[in-house]
Amino acid sequence: MSVLALDQVFRGAGAKITAALAARYRDLDIAEECFAEACARAAQVWPKNGVPGDGAAWLYRTADRCALDALRRRATRERLAPNPQPPQPTVEDAMVDDGNLIPDERLRLIFVCCHPAVAPDARAALTLRLVCGLSVSEIARAFLLPEPTLAQRLVRAKRKISDAGVPFEIPGPDAWPERLDAVMSTVEIAYSKAHEDAAGAGPHADFSTDMLALTRVLADLLPQEPEVLALAAVLHFAEARRPARLDEHGAMVPLSEQDPMLWNRQLIEEGKYYLRRAARLEGQGARILQAAIHAAWCERESLSVAAPWKAVLYLYDALMDIRDDSIVRLNRAVALAEVAGVRAALIEVEELDKDAMASFLPYHAVRADLLRRAGDVEAAREAYDAALALGPASAERLWLERQVAAVRH
Amino acid sequence: MQYAFLIYEDEAIYGPNKSGPAMQEIVAKHMTFNRELGSKRIGGAGLKGTASATTVRTAKGMKTVHDGPFAEAKEQLGGFYIIDAPDLDAAIAIAKKIPVLQDGAIEIRPLLGIE
Repeated sequence: MSVLALDQVFRGAGAKITAALAARYRDLDIAEECFAEACARAAQVWPKNGVPGDGAAWLYRTADRCALDALRRRATRERLAPNPQPPQPTVEDAMVDDGNLIPDERLRLIFVCCHPAVAPDARAALTLRLVCGLSVSEIARAFLLPEPTLAQRLVRAKRKISDAGVPFEIPGPDAWPERLDAVMSTVEIAYSKAHEDAAGAGPHADFSTDMLALTRVLADLLPQEPEVLALAAVLHFAEARRPARLDEHGAMVPLSEQDPMLWNRQLIEEGKYYLRRAARLEGQGARILQAAIHAAWCERESLSVAAPWKAVLYLYDALMDIRDDSIVRLNRAVALAEVAGVRAALIEVEELDKDAMASFLPYHAVRADLLRRAGDVEAAREAYDAALALGPASAERLWLERQVAAVRH
Repeated sequence: MQYAFLIYEDEAIYGPNKSGPAMQEIVAKHMTFNRELGSKRIGGAGLKGTASATTVRTAKGMKTVHDGPFAEAKEQLGGFYIIDAPDLDAAIAIAKKIPVLQDGAIEIRPLLGIE
């Protein structure tokens, strides 16, 4: 019960607490360590004394005191006064239920993590770790990197921020464009983390609403940045399809088999609005094409209308011109199979870097489907097994198991 | 005449964050050396390691900010400033104002022991 309560609080408020501590003490390590310490204390105290009314506030206060202690110890060691004003914790603190106790500093922390003085290959990873609370192994998988490599990047980036004196402030608007790319990659990865579990029940389910809200904020703040508007469009389209992503047995429904009647028309209209605004601006990049691909799907009105494979393939061709990576190639192959045939698609997929794709579930699922349709049942079964071995969430697992059963017959 | 002495060494010997035992040794030696210099010494400081470096590059009139020290060999060291700034953004803003006639770079490195 308490473990569950702690887990829920951690998921709901962990990122906000870490961001608030980091902004207050201007130290990423202290923020991370003290939040972890507060969680450890909660795990000891809550089962004995009961779960406090506002668990997040309890964690924040505990972590805050831990941070002050750590800074005092450091100050004694270095004979330097700590930067921040010490807060005055009172007896009432423990009893007050204050929803506004924890300031929302996530946007500020995003801009710290995405500072141009931080190594480009560490910015999004650091944001995902500190602002979204993803574990190192989850981030490593998202970037298709070995865990120690990623862990080392994070350590270096945190040290750089502290040693070089990167300020914990939201910069002036003129400094935003150069930090935007990392901010947008972060939003994409965090959203896809939530999206990869079709049931929306995984540990990162909250990201989908958080990230949707964040894209709205960014689009409001930067109405002249086409990539920001395109990103907002992508997330609105993707989120609109959520109601159709599960069937009555709780299995995932692939995009081309989803019933468009179930899609959220309001979100689709918002997505189209962002896309139209993005299309009118100069300086478009890969994201506007991604948004256009989503829009092509969302134009479909019912399952009796043909799926827009040709338009989708055409857009993926254009996307490959500006962003040629394995994931774009894999997605393009799915459309290619419908337009040019399974064999052509299979050739493309077999050319991808097998080692880099080994932990990427869609790779195995797409490959298995193409192999099955090409008549190579044995290889298809192995590919489905490889997908299942990655431990997918239940909706994806049910769908994969159904595919495996179909291969057997 | 006044002269600037620029010290080049393998920073790895001083350990991560320049905190290893070799650092204490070299600091003691510099203090002895400073006493010998007496009034001849006008200024000077140790720098934090290159991991803390940020570079503002100017190329074709465009100024961009990068992680890491200045790495290209096409340009040569031509001068230096020591400035006081509240944080890296303030330092970057000043670095962007340092006049550079054509292409060039300003490497920003925090001084050791001054927060």
